Amino acid sequence: MTLRPALKPQRHPAVKANRRPGPRPSRRPARRPAVKRHRRGTDRRPRFAIAVTAAFFALLYLPIGVVVLFSFNSQKSLTVFKDFSLRWYSAFFKDDVLLESLGMSLRVSLVAMAGSLILGVALALGLVRCRSRLGSLAGLVMLVPLITPEIVTGVAAMLLFKGFGVTLSTGTVMLAEITFSISYVTVILRSRIAALNPEVEEAAMDLGATRWQALRLVTLPALLPSILASAVLVFALVFDDFVLAYFTTGVDPQPLSVRIYSAIRFGVQPTINAVGTLMLAGSIGLIALALAIPRLFGRRGGLDLLSGK
Amino acid sequence: MALRKRPEEPRPRSGPSASGTRLWTWLMIPGTLWMTGFLIASLLLVATLAFGTTDPLGNPRFGLNFENIAAMTDPAYRAVLLRSLGYALLTCLICLVVAYPVAYAIALHGGRFKNLLIAAIVVPFFANYLVRMYGWSVVLSDDGPLLKVLRAVGLADSDTKILQTGMGVIAGLVYGFIVFMIIPLYAALERMDVSLIEAGRDLYGGPLRTFFFVTLPATRQGAMAGCVLVLLPAMGDFVSAQLMGGPDQIMIGNLIQDKFFQGQNWPLGSALTMLMMAVLFIGMLGYLRRTRKDEAEATR
Repeated sequence: MTLRPALKPQRHPAVKANRRPGPRPSRRPARRPAVKRHRRGTDRRPRFAIAVTAAFFALLYLPIGVVVLFSFNSQKSLTVFKDFSLRWYSAFFKDDVLLESLGMSLRVSLVAMAGSLILGVALALGLVRCRSRLGSLAGLVMLVPLITPEIVTGVAAMLLFKGFGVTLSTGTVMLAEITFSISYVTVILRSRIAALNPEVEEAAMDLGATRWQALRLVTLPALLPSILASAVLVFALVFDDFVLAYFTTGVDPQPLSVRIYSAIRFGVQPTINAVGTLMLAGSIGLIALALAIPRLFGRRGGLDLLSGK
Repeated sequence: MALRKRPEEPRPRSGPSASGTRLWTWLMIPGTLWMTGFLIASLLLVATLAFGTTDPLGNPRFGLNFENIAAMTDPAYRAVLLRSLGYALLTCLICLVVAYPVAYAIALHGGRFKNLLIAAIVVPFFANYLVRMYGWSVVLSDDGPLLKVLRAVGLADSDTKILQTGMGVIAGLVYGFIVFMIIPLYAALERMDVSLIEAGRDLYGGPLRTFFFVTLPATRQGAMAGCVLVLLPAMGDFVSAQLMGGPDQIMIGNLIQDKFFQGQNWPLGSALTMLMMAVLFIGMLGYLRRTRKDEAEATR
């Protein structure tokens, strides 16, 4: 700032040239140069907004930090940190019930990922490319889980299974989670498919490919980064999902998140800190992966998670 | 976000893209059938069972019975519904007030850290909801870090409580869903033409006037989308009230959960679910009407 020469109020050269006879114009400029007031419109640092942001970040990470910190506590307390210890982690790895739940959650997430990808990719392709009444109807159906509170879909799925006399089990959780995840896959892929250039596919067909071959050899490879990103995302979402799993799970084994729910309802259980820390690390790793995938493929915007589209 | 309709481009009626229409239709069918079979059918089932009854053994029976619908006028349910609505609306408001400066600071002053900062907000949000809520309840607990700090600076007495009060429930809801407010606001602020703010300042608007008369109206759509996205899950949540509220802070989600698990009165639970959906539907209609009006004005 100090390096800049001081700005002198200048008059436009044209003004000097066309000066008409008459009263001398005032030497003082009509208003102070705008330069002094602000350099660029938004350049002023909004101190208030920045302070709120800092406080927000502190409060956002404080609970997570507490869980991680006290998972390494040697004591049962959640207020006093005594010594570093891995005792709650070893307690988790010795707990057969929790390990069984972990295995079930992993299986459910894998199946939901595979199922929702197959149905969701096909649905997204159809929705973008097909302009018919059925298409707009399918588009509406697909949006329903996104505009319904999860407890409603949970209650509804539970009633459906029970109404048809299906015993709630791992299978019912898988079916419910697939239904729920299709929407995510479709929403993520829709904008990517719409951004593809259909002429490339048409060129492939001009060169003798069938429509199916063009889809398989041209379109799907172009979509691969987005598909992988949404796969990772669905895996993480299903693994962490609690409400739907809670309403559709049977007695044994229960998904890990449902176990956590029953554990924290009945007071402090330090093992939960260890499980929670492992789950946090897992989801954060997966989401980071999902965000990084488009970049790994040298492309941007494979996952429109951040642009809010 | 997903709620907005994309403008449709016209498709050629002949040529290669038209010839594949059948393939596209076939691709669409399995997913649509699946969603209809599992989702739409089950939602209809809930709506039907709301008119059902329970037999003496507690098993649900379908029928045409208005007992459960009539029960919705029970003052006890009305109190819970109003409390849920009040908590959800207050959550919305707090989210808006907190999220706006955050989104503003990041979108307009984040510089090259913009994406990193937004990722830092989104990533923990994808971590397990229960674990986050559990950590938050530890932070807010009577001898937790937050109250310790507040006591140290004299903002709280020794007997101030956050947990087991309505404030605790709202704090939980805000923590759980604020990201749904930040993302659409961030998107709207990022998309906004910065020269509008410059123009406001050039016209000698102070920072506050520029904000209220330029920035805020320009990003109203994002704010409204955020409100809907926060209101929907906040209304249905039952974890926050369970972990951070007392017995007199239960929300409609807790009632529904109770009717399905402890009370075993599924028809009544279904009726409560439909009641909640009806309330949310009215809110959604208002939102849709507003956005449609905005779009009509924008295209005029």
